[in-house]
Formats: sequence, structure tokens, C-alpha cells
Amino acid sequence: MLGIYVHIPFCESKCCYCSFSSFVKDESFINQYINFLCNEIETSNLKNNEIDSIYIGGGTPSLLDAKQIEKILNSIKNTFTLDKKCEITIECNPNSINFDKLIKFKNYGINRISLGVQSVYDEDLKFLCRKHNVKQVFDALDNINLAGFENISVDLLLGLKNSSFDKFKNQIDILLNKGVKHFSCYMLQVEQGTKLKMMYDNDSSCILNNENCVSLFQQVSSYFNKLGFIHYEISNFALPGYKSLHNYKYWSGEPYIGFGLSAHSYLNGKRIANAYNFDKYFSNEKEFVELLNNSELIEEHIMLGLRYEGGVDINYLNKLGYDIMQNDNLKKYLNQNVIFKKKNRLYLNEKFYSVNNIIILDLI
Amino acid sequence: MDRMKKIRNFCIIAHIDHGKSTLADRLIEKTGTLEKRDMQSQLLDSMELEREKGITIKLTPTRMVYDYNGEKYELNLIDTPGHVDFTYEVSRSLAACEGAILIVDATQGVEAQTLANAYLAIDNNLEILPVINKIDLPSARPEEVKQEIEDVVGIPATHAPCISAKDGINIEDVLEMIVKEFPSPKGDENEKLKCLIFDSYYDNFKGAICLVRIFDGKVKVGDKIQMMHTGKIYDVTEVGIFVPFSKPCEILKAGDVGYIAGSIKNISDVEVGDTITNALNPVETPLPGYKKVKPVVFCGIFPVDGAKYNELKDALEKLKLNDASLEYQPEVSQALGFGFRCGFLGLLHLEIITERIEREFNLDIITTAPSVYYKIHKTNGEVLQLSNPSSLPPPVEIDFIEEPFVKANIFLPPQFVGSVMELCQDKRGEYKDMIYLDQSRVKIVYHLPLGEIIYDFFDSLKSRTRGYASFDYEIGDFVKSDLVRLDILLNGEKCDALSLIVHKDKAYSRGRALVEKLKKIIPRQLFEVPIQAAIGGKIIARETVSAMRKDVLAKCYGGDITRKRKLLEKQKEGKKRMRKIGSVEIPSSAFMSILKLDDEDK
Repeated sequence: MLGIYVHIPFCESKCCYCSFSSFVKDESFINQYINFLCNEIETSNLKNNEIDSIYIGGGTPSLLDAKQIEKILNSIKNTFTLDKKCEITIECNPNSINFDKLIKFKNYGINRISLGVQSVYDEDLKFLCRKHNVKQVFDALDNINLAGFENISVDLLLGLKNSSFDKFKNQIDILLNKGVKHFSCYMLQVEQGTKLKMMYDNDSSCILNNENCVSLFQQVSSYFNKLGFIHYEISNFALPGYKSLHNYKYWSGEPYIGFGLSAHSYLNGKRIANAYNFDKYFSNEKEFVELLNNSELIEEHIMLGLRYEGGVDINYLNKLGYDIMQNDNLKKYLNQNVIFKKKNRLYLNEKFYSVNNIIILDLI
Repeated sequence: MDRMKKIRNFCIIAHIDHGKSTLADRLIEKTGTLEKRDMQSQLLDSMELEREKGITIKLTPTRMVYDYNGEKYELNLIDTPGHVDFTYEVSRSLAACEGAILIVDATQGVEAQTLANAYLAIDNNLEILPVINKIDLPSARPEEVKQEIEDVVGIPATHAPCISAKDGINIEDVLEMIVKEFPSPKGDENEKLKCLIFDSYYDNFKGAICLVRIFDGKVKVGDKIQMMHTGKIYDVTEVGIFVPFSKPCEILKAGDVGYIAGSIKNISDVEVGDTITNALNPVETPLPGYKKVKPVVFCGIFPVDGAKYNELKDALEKLKLNDASLEYQPEVSQALGFGFRCGFLGLLHLEIITERIEREFNLDIITTAPSVYYKIHKTNGEVLQLSNPSSLPPPVEIDFIEEPFVKANIFLPPQFVGSVMELCQDKRGEYKDMIYLDQSRVKIVYHLPLGEIIYDFFDSLKSRTRGYASFDYEIGDFVKSDLVRLDILLNGEKCDALSLIVHKDKAYSRGRALVEKLKKIIPRQLFEVPIQAAIGGKIIARETVSAMRKDVLAKCYGGDITRKRKLLEKQKEGKKRMRKIGSVEIPSSAFMSILKLDDEDK
């Protein structure tokens, strides 16, 4: 079934490490955007298709009024057919939600909250230029629970200065107690054009070095395993039954449709991106439409298959004309237990998630 | 014989940058051989590379007509390559002349190549006329330099014209001097044909062209000519002169300088120094001085992209068309795949050829560290000659090894003598002589192994003397040396393309430096990579490249898979510049980096 991604490119302010599409805009501009977005949804040529996941991401979607969120969801409901079990996620920041808003979200049918926590230590939050503090994180989680959400996910950043496994473990324990079922743990990456890049160029010790960051990642991974979490994708850990249905589509090659500025779709082997700037977006322009050729399909399947639990389908590659079993590098990796084979699929050993690029490059 | 009295065949010789090409340009301009608008600065250096490096590689002779006292004189300027790699070519060019203009920089004075070239001219019995150039410079000291020429070179210089080729000052004096002082050619056009090949080039339509000086007899279209050393016979299809572009003429006679074409398909059949005679009416003895040129520096050349082997082969074939001294033969390396073992006249020649392959043929290549020719005396009495370290037989089969030595002349200010002697000593040099030329210049003579010179000798000499030393050498004898093969092991596997032949005493330090250097340039891989240096089976140095810890695109935001794929594709592009040795990926640049070891030690 089809998934829907809706992009809300607005934030209260820009965080120092963020290189994604988000802007600080005034109310009337935001309204204009939402009107256009709803129109885009309602005029979709995939009208009436069945949908089993909706993901409202950003930016900071929780920055919008509950009414605005309702309007967007109504557009979707009026245009598409929602599956009974449809997963509906909204990304929230701890400081832009309250009990009232959450109750409304619940009533609109939203059943999963992804909370941008990043850290439960104030010094980290300050460094990252986040607008919230630790108290707000805990309040937000209490409210989320109170409002009756049980599918709760949080984002955490790995690689902050002064982090240690003990500190991180403590953080996980606290959040688990607050009912969190799903963790996305991203290793902090210094991206071009961010404030973090400037800070890093000035003093590379402002974040954890790769060596320590990766060891921490590995310790955290095994701790999650111990707690009964499934490490189902490089950065994602879920308790049984709480994997993100929507994000799963990205790895498994299922179709999804994106609405909003710079939103991406994958339909019938075509990757489509809406325009990256507002003016172009408002005139319905696409940033690109690319029909994947055979070798791109192969590359993507290997690239994505080796980053999540689904693995690489040997038969599918064969159908595309690539007999991966003949690849000498693969033979070596199978010997070294870097990659393992189960039935007709290849899986990356969890230990090598942090260097998966090197391995992928050797196989494509 | 009146005709010959009006001919002057001469060349210009100088140390690099003393103004040889600029003076040549001025002479061409002054005699009106070319209109000013046709002049390109440094006209005779026709290759892009030559102009960039400020050196002459290929020769271009020029005929100029000069009016002196109402009489027209034919001046043939034969250009000479200005580098020690091409000494033999220079000597053949000189043999085609009666006179040589020796240019000396009025600020720098006599340098190593000034002397080396002057001696070559003396050897060829040329009349040598010194010219002091660059008198426009404020630091010019023409009188002192004249004295220096007399003292050091040993030729009279009192009446040497003082000129500025750059500003066109006193060029007329040089022209007058050429007419008055240089002898006209001797020879007899009615004798049997005897002419000297002093250079050659390849023309796509006419085949290999011989650049010649006619000593006796004459040659015209339709004649049957014979190369005396190769024995090959050709029909002359065209003769002509250079003005400075080639211009056909009816006949070339004794005393003339020009070219002969004869549908000669292969440039290797036109050997510089060979004598051409008439096949039907040949002379008995060829001109003296012929020698087969042999490469002295060797390296492996491999395409970065293994699939481009045939393109590399084509490139070498085409370069060989114009450059008979380039030698190559197929070579297979475990590490680098299919490529060629190439031989060159020297390091500069090597550099020129590799640059031309990359520029003119747009090929990315890997060159292995240069080596020299070794004579391997085996215990069973067999003698092998080889340049490729990986073909060295096992130590037990070797009785002893000989390596080529050179006689090196170094000119330098006295304050650097200590440091340069230390350098020569360090390079296993054997001290021969030291002469104080004047208060500011000393000449030291060393016997040095060529194998050491082709490492970073030039660079070290330059940095130790802040650029004030000049250096020249001639290839000497083979000398018995205590040499061993130094192997590099990556992840326990020997990488043949990184092997070196080194002196036993230096093996340890070079092995250490090499593994340290490789540690810096080999990127981290999935597992750690031990880098070892070994002699025979014995490991003498080890470093480890630790395992890659992080190479992951963590976030796939909002389903943007394209960005991730593009990043991966970019990374894949970068990988193409890597070579896989067993399970280890190493950058193409690693193979040449062996050369740059020593500067980093210091």
C-alpha cells in the first residue's frame, strides 16, 4: 500500500546541525503554504488509492495550530482511502505541544508521536541551539501519555561532547520509563553550511571524534538489544510491534508519495522531488523526476537492503541482471562474516552498520 | 666554392635560463626571416611543454639570410636541447656546425651546463664565441663574467659582445661576429654524398624526416640513399630547408643544413648520428661519433583504469613515432595489471613523456618509482641486465650486483660546500675533486650512483644551496655495490610495484620512511592494514593503518533516497583512483610517492 509524507518546512529557529529544508516564516506565509499544500493533496492523480501510513514531518509540524493539522489530514482523508490500521505519525518538538493540542491530534486519528528530544541534558540542548529544555521534554512525554498515545518515538543524537555510555544509558532508562517504544539514534554529522560546521572547523573537539562516537553507538546498540529492542535499521530501535511502518517503506522499496516543499515520492520506479524553493514549489515545479535505470535500481536495492533488517534480495538482483553471488568482494565478506546469508537474502552484520558505505561500494 | 664561403652553420649553447631561445628569436627577427607579427615568443621551443618548462626538447633548425657589407650570408642556426638527458643529441647537433655561440648570463656567470656544453663544443672542434647576455639587469657584471669565462672555460672572452637579448641590445654585433669569426663549411659538392643526421621527427604525411647537415656531395628528389649504420635504403621523396618552417627545395649541397624525406615509415630507422650516403655511389667510411642511445632511467607505466591498456599502448606508439629514444615493452604487475616498462634518457625525459601521455592523450596513468639498469652477476656465471626490482633473482643466486655511476660536476658558492658534500656523501658519492674558480664559486666533482640521483638529488641540492648550485653529469661505469631488494607488504601480501633496489646501508632507513609515508596515504579500510618493509624474508619496519570506524549516511530524511545514492556514486568515482592490492585499496599516487621520501625526513 501507499504511504504519504507531508512536509512542514517551518521551525521556530534553526538548530546548529540542521541542513534540512526548514525556514522561519510568519503566520500568513504559513497559511498560504498550507492552502497550497492541501490543494496539492486534493488534486493528486493518485486519488482514491489506499493508504496505510501518513507521516507529517518537518521542520516542526507541531508548530502549526491543531486546526491547520486537521485541515491537512482532512484533505488526505477526502482524497485517499485510509486503511483501518493506517499509521499516522506527527513530528513534535517538546516546546510546541501541550495537552490540548495532543488531545486534538488524537481525535484527528494521529496514533504515533515522534518527539524531537535529542538529549535529556540541558548542556547538550544548549549546544545544539534547541529551543527546549529537559523539563519540557518530561512534561511533553507526560502529556503525550496522558492524551492516550502509546506509540511514542524519540530522536536522540549520538556524538555530543562529554557523552559517555553511562550518560546515554541513563537517558534511555528515563525515556523508557516515560513510555517510549521507539528510538531513532542518529550519529551527529557535520554538514556543509551549518553553524555546527563553523564551530567544528574552529574546534574539532566540540563533538565526539568518530572513534568514540562509533564505540558509543555500538555500546548503545547492544544495550538496546539487551532491553529487547529490535535494531531494525542502522539508526532505529523498536520494541516488538512498534517499528515505524512509514519509514520501513523507504528501505523496502515500497511506494510513497510526498506533498509539500522538497517532498520526495517514489512511484513506479520513479523518484520525484518537489521543488526545493517556495516560488518554484508554488508554481508546481519539480526539482527532479528520475526514472531509475537498471543499474540505479541495483545500487539502491543494495544500498537500502544493507541498512535495515530486510536485507538484499538475491533473486530480485538476478532479475535485474546482477548475479551478486559472483562478486568476489561478497565472497570475501561472507567469509569474514561481515555479511551473512539467510535463504535468498543477504544481511549486513550489525557490527558493521557504522561503515556500511565501504561495504556497499564493494558490492555495486 | 664561393657558395660555401657565404654559409655559416652554428648553434647556441648555454646553461638553462641564460637566454638561448630569446637570442635565437632576436636573430630570426633581426635578419627578417620572419615578420614580427609571426613571431611567437621563443619560437623554436614549439611544444607547449617546452615553453612551459623553458627548455628545448625537440630541435628546430632555421636558415636566416643576413646582409653584411652588401653581401648575402646564409646563417643556419641549429638549436640544441638544453638538458643533460640529451647530451648525445647535443653532441650530434654540434657536429653539424662549425661554430658555437656560448651565452653566459651577466649576473650568474659560468654554470655547470655552460661548462659541459663548452666542453662538448671543444670536443667537436667548434669555434666558440662567448656572448654576455642580460646586461640590462642592474646586477650585471659583464667584465667579471668575461674573466670567469677565460679562467673557467679557458677561452678568450675579452671581445665578447655584451648584449640584452630581451631588449634587443647589440644583437647586430652577434650577427657580425657570426659572419666574421665562424669558419665557413669545408667540403666538396662533387664528392660522394656524406651527410649527418642530427635529429629526426615524424610527419603524418611524409613519414620520418631526417634533419641533416651535408658534408660532401649533394642530394635531390629521386636519389637512392642509404643509412650507413642501419643499412636501409630509401628513395628521396623531398628535400628542403627550414625558414624556420619546412620549405621544399630542389637540391641540398655540401655545407647545407636541411631535411630529407624518403617515405621512411619508422622513426627508429632514422638514428641520430647515423651517416646518409648515396646508395649507388656510397662513401666507404661513415662520419665519426655515432653511438646507439640507450635509456638510463626506467619506470613502469600503467593505466589507472585497467581497461585503457590499449589506449596507453597507442599513446606510447605515437610518442615513439617522434622520439626514437623512448623505449617500452609490455609488463605485467600483480598489483597494477597490464602496463609497460619504459626506458628514458633521464628523469626530465621521463617527466616529459608521462606529462605528454596525460595531457595530449588524456590518460590517467600510474608511474612506478624510477630505477636504473643493474648488472646482476649470478653465482652460475650468468650476467643479467635488469631495471625492474621485481625481476631480481633470489639473493642466493646472486654473486654480486653492479650499478651505473655518473661523474657529477657541481658549481656552487663556497658557503654551501659543506652541506653539499654532506649530501653527496649521504648519496654514496665518492669525492673526486674541488676547485675554487674564484671567490664566489667552487666546482666540486663527485662520482655518484645514478640510482641515488634519480631519487630526490636535484631537489635536495636546490634546497641546500637555496637554488645557487648548478649540476651536470655524465654517465660513467658500472660499479660493484652492495644492493638489496626492499619489498613492501600490504596486509601480508607483497606489492611488486612498490619494490625498490637499494643499498644495504640505506635499506633500513628507507624502509622505515616508506612504511611511514604509506601509512599517511593509504586510507582507512574495513579492517586494519599492516604495512611492512622486508628484505628477503626479514621484516625491517612496520606500521598499521587502523580500521575505518565510521563511513555511513545515517539519515534518510523524508524518503530522499536520491541524495544518498548520489553521494554513494561520488564516493564510487573516488574509488576509481584506487588500486586494489589483494584486499587493500591504495591510491594511485602511492607508487610515485616513494620518490618524495627524503624531503619529508628532513
